[in-house]
Amino acid sequence: MLLSLNNVEVVYDRVFLAVKSVSIDVGEGGLVALLGANGAGKSTTLKSVSGLLKPERGAVTRGEIAFAGRDLLALDPPERVRAGIAHVLEGRRVFGHLTPEENLLAATTMHGDRAHVKRLMERTFAWFPRLSERARTQAGYLSGGEQQMLAIGRALMTEPKLLLLDEPSLGLAPFLVDEIFDIIRRINKEAGVAVLLVEQNAAAALEVAEVAYVIDNGRVVMNGTAEVVKANPDVEAAYLGGGHSVDFRAVKHYRRRRRWLT
Amino acid sequence: MDLWLIGELALTGALVGLMYALVAVGIVLVYKTSGVANFAQGAIAMSGGYATWAIAAFLGLPMWVAIPLALVAMFGFGMLVEHAVLRHMVGQPVIMIIMVTFGIEIFLRGFMPGTFGVAVKRLDLGIPQAPMFLGEMLINRAYLVGGAVSAALILAAIVLFNSRAGIVMRAVSDDQGASWSVGIRVERAIAVAWGLAGATATAAGILWGSVQGIDWSLSLLLMKALAIAILGGLDSIPGVLLAGLIVGVCESLATGVIDPLVGGGTRDIVASVIIVLTLLVRPYGLFGREHIERV
Ligand SMILES: Nc1ncnc2c1ncn2[C@@H]1O[C@H](COP(=O)(O)OP(=O)(O)O)[C@@H](O)[C@H]1O
Ligand SMILES: [Mg+2]
Repeated sequence: MLLSLNNVEVVYDRVFLAVKSVSIDVGEGGLVALLGANGAGKSTTLKSVSGLLKPERGAVTRGEIAFAGRDLLALDPPERVRAGIAHVLEGRRVFGHLTPEENLLAATTMHGDRAHVKRLMERTFAWFPRLSERARTQAGYLSGGEQQMLAIGRALMTEPKLLLLDEPSLGLAPFLVDEIFDIIRRINKEAGVAVLLVEQNAAAALEVAEVAYVIDNGRVVMNGTAEVVKANPDVEAAYLGGGHSVDFRAVKHYRRRRRWLT
Repeated sequence: MDLWLIGELALTGALVGLMYALVAVGIVLVYKTSGVANFAQGAIAMSGGYATWAIAAFLGLPMWVAIPLALVAMFGFGMLVEHAVLRHMVGQPVIMIIMVTFGIEIFLRGFMPGTFGVAVKRLDLGIPQAPMFLGEMLINRAYLVGGAVSAALILAAIVLFNSRAGIVMRAVSDDQGASWSVGIRVERAIAVAWGLAGATATAAGILWGSVQGIDWSLSLLLMKALAIAILGGLDSIPGVLLAGLIVGVCESLATGVIDPLVGGGTRDIVASVIIVLTLLVRPYGLFGREHIERV
């Protein structure tokens, strides 16, 4: 396994238990989806892997996280990036006052060789031709879709073995969602980068993922191949709806009515 | 009022303004990287002057050795301030952080003269005393050298900010969490900004020390530097360059033109007037970035 979380527990502010005993495996070159409603603990799980809990006063209080055979919990966030983990945060979080080109350069502190950085830059612009057209505008003025591409492109500059993607489709028009998921699939298939994909758009995520975990209230409540998870009636009702589009209000309503799967 | 005199005042003002601007560079560097308003920069410049003098006087070293040593030492001092104090203030309200940096300013103002004695220290860079004539304008050579060195260092800072190291500092100022996520050592970037603030302040302290000697009053450069940083936009080094020239020229003309009419004292209010006017009329300064509201 490339990444394995084993009974991980995360606490914020020393008191708030956000993730309770979560175990997740991502294989070399795998594409795994992590699904769940708002507040279920998806982002927290990703942060436990990338180490970004600390700035938010969160900590892994129990369990182990291993990456390529190493104990991740002993490493600080920049070392985890150097080990091969890149985290695309929820809400894109591009450097708004920097140009796309500068955004990409800012993510290359681990590379000493200029020629190598230049090659990576060209590769990224080849992945995202739309970014090269806007390479000199401040990233804060890019559209949501372009910012998401930039955030993913920026993460790829670190040459990750594993990409953690937190709700890449959030707030994007449907045709852009398709484009983003297409890119995710290509990064996974063509560049061989393993992906752990967090989504509320379960329909889209289950189209690309091989394996999926469903998390609710800080616990994994179901896992299996994408087909099995897709076919589950509870998931069907909660996430996939009738017309394959997700209605968040319906999800919440459903959860209030019945504490499903737990 | 003849034109030669106006020209002399303006040119001297511009040179002096560049020397002020060099103090402001450190305020901008730190603000741009970490969002912290560095109110200790005046006393750090003063301490850099003292450090240079002390290294030369106590170790018996020539200036060309003492200056680089002092620059390195004060780079370390800047990093130390970040390590020992500001790193522990992360997440505190802005006003607390301002008070802490201002506390460092006050402490150094007392500590340095207390340690080395209150008498003014001479710092001789070997610049000839005799003024230079440009047409009928008399220009002080110390200002000429000081202005030129300051301009060169400010240009170097602009180049730095467009290099990868500078891009990383700007990235840190934009979004620390996102910086962590792509492998940037955020704390190190901020410490380096403080180190550079210490070194540039020291360069300014040396240049000013060679003009007026070294004592606690060098720390009053803080006012000029704040005026320049605010007018320039707090996070723009080209802004510092232009604002430095504006502040220097205004001060010099005020001294030469208005002082004789009102009986003196206008020099020191120029900086404060500029601070207040900027904050009222254009709070993000000449070149400061506005917040990008979209997404
Ligand atoms: N920085 C934080 N401090 C305290 N509680 C937090 C913090 N971040 C998230 N939480 C809480 O942890 C739980 C899980 O949040 P999160 O992982 O963001 O959920 P998701 O990404 O699935 O929407 C929520 O109850 C949320 O309120
Ligand atoms: Mg989330």
